[in-house]
Amino acid sequence: MLDIRRISTSRWWHKKKNWIFFGIFLFLFFVRISKGSLYKDFYYLVSKPFWPGQFQKEIILKSKDQESSIKINLLENDNSRLREILYLQESSNEDNMSAAVISRKTGGWWRQIILNKGIKDGVEVGSAVIGPGGLLGRVKNTSLFTSSAILLTSPESKVGVWVDRIQINGLLVGTGTDTPILKLYSKDADIKVGDFVSSSPASTLLPPNIPIGIVQSVDDSFKARKTAKILLLAKPHVIDWVQILKLER
Amino acid sequence: MNKYFKKNLSIIFFILIPIVFLWHPNWLGFLGIQPYWPLFWLLPWSMINGSINGLILGLFLGLILDSVTIDNNFTQIPGLILCGAWFGQIKIHSDILVGHFRYGLICSFGSFLCGSLYFLQILLKNYSDSNPLLFIPSIQNIVAEVFLTGFFAPLICSQLLRIFKPFREKTILFNFAKK
Repeated sequence: MLDIRRISTSRWWHKKKNWIFFGIFLFLFFVRISKGSLYKDFYYLVSKPFWPGQFQKEIILKSKDQESSIKINLLENDNSRLREILYLQESSNEDNMSAAVISRKTGGWWRQIILNKGIKDGVEVGSAVIGPGGLLGRVKNTSLFTSSAILLTSPESKVGVWVDRIQINGLLVGTGTDTPILKLYSKDADIKVGDFVSSSPASTLLPPNIPIGIVQSVDDSFKARKTAKILLLAKPHVIDWVQILKLER
Repeated sequence: MNKYFKKNLSIIFFILIPIVFLWHPNWLGFLGIQPYWPLFWLLPWSMINGSINGLILGLFLGLILDSVTIDNNFTQIPGLILCGAWFGQIKIHSDILVGHFRYGLICSFGSFLCGSLYFLQILLKNYSDSNPLLFIPSIQNIVAEVFLTGFFAPLICSQLLRIFKPFREKTILFNFAKK
């Protein structure tokens, strides 16, 4: 009886060492089959904080930002000097005034907003009204405490705009719908869907380069001109606070 | 004081029309459009006081609403004058329930008339350079306005008629046709 027990304990699978050896062998086999992918991935995770590229990228981006801001300052100064020479409208952030929208009619026939700043705050007729996204409209009349701004979508609104990609001026006309129409008095104008439209740099009524919208569709069925529907960037039906840009004369 | 207040309720409501018109509550609208508020006041008032008074008050309403909106080229006066004159011809129905639905129908027609006249002005102004397809949203404006005005009219007009009627003879300030 004792002899039988001794024989059974001496089998190879009863030894722990053998199993460890077998496990190592399997692991090595897997490493061989996967061509070391496990090691490579592990190395990727371990070495990530020490990559030279990442650190360098941050330095490059920072210096690029600095370079851009210096360039913007230089260009703004240059632009302001040239505008002074040409007697064009100036745009300056110092004269902006925040105002709350106290009444809005953004659907239907009448498209206007009434703001809680009026003559007593120095709001003038003709001042541009901008919201998050870009230009909303212009102040059409003022009372002591309020000012009414006509929206770009109103049938009364006509604004000179600039299509940057093709470097051409156009007229943005409201039609009483959510998408005003851009009229380009040139049949050859290569306007495309997605083109960016801003206030005209040559405008004497509005400050220059205020974002307005993007071209939604183009209609070239007219003989002498092209028209395009513009999707406005600023949404007057959801904006509660706007900025009034004072006119500089 | 209370008697004086009740006597002048029609004037108070008249003054409140432009406020509601400017208020423009979005939750009450449909497709961003509001009911045409002035008709809710003009219908009961004209039904009680007749066509000439309706016409004149339609003109006054138009003048006030044109001044609170900043569209210089288009006016709401023609629509409101026509509605005022037309509403004055309508007699108050004896059956309350029929009357309720009649207010809805009449205000819907009135709203359609005012909306169409306003749209016509825009169309005439932009006739030379307009694509007919661009005016589809304008038709949508009219349809939504007609629906909303007709929807709210039975509720509001019948209440206003009930309020204005007992003081018909006493509204001297507004009764232009009275000899």
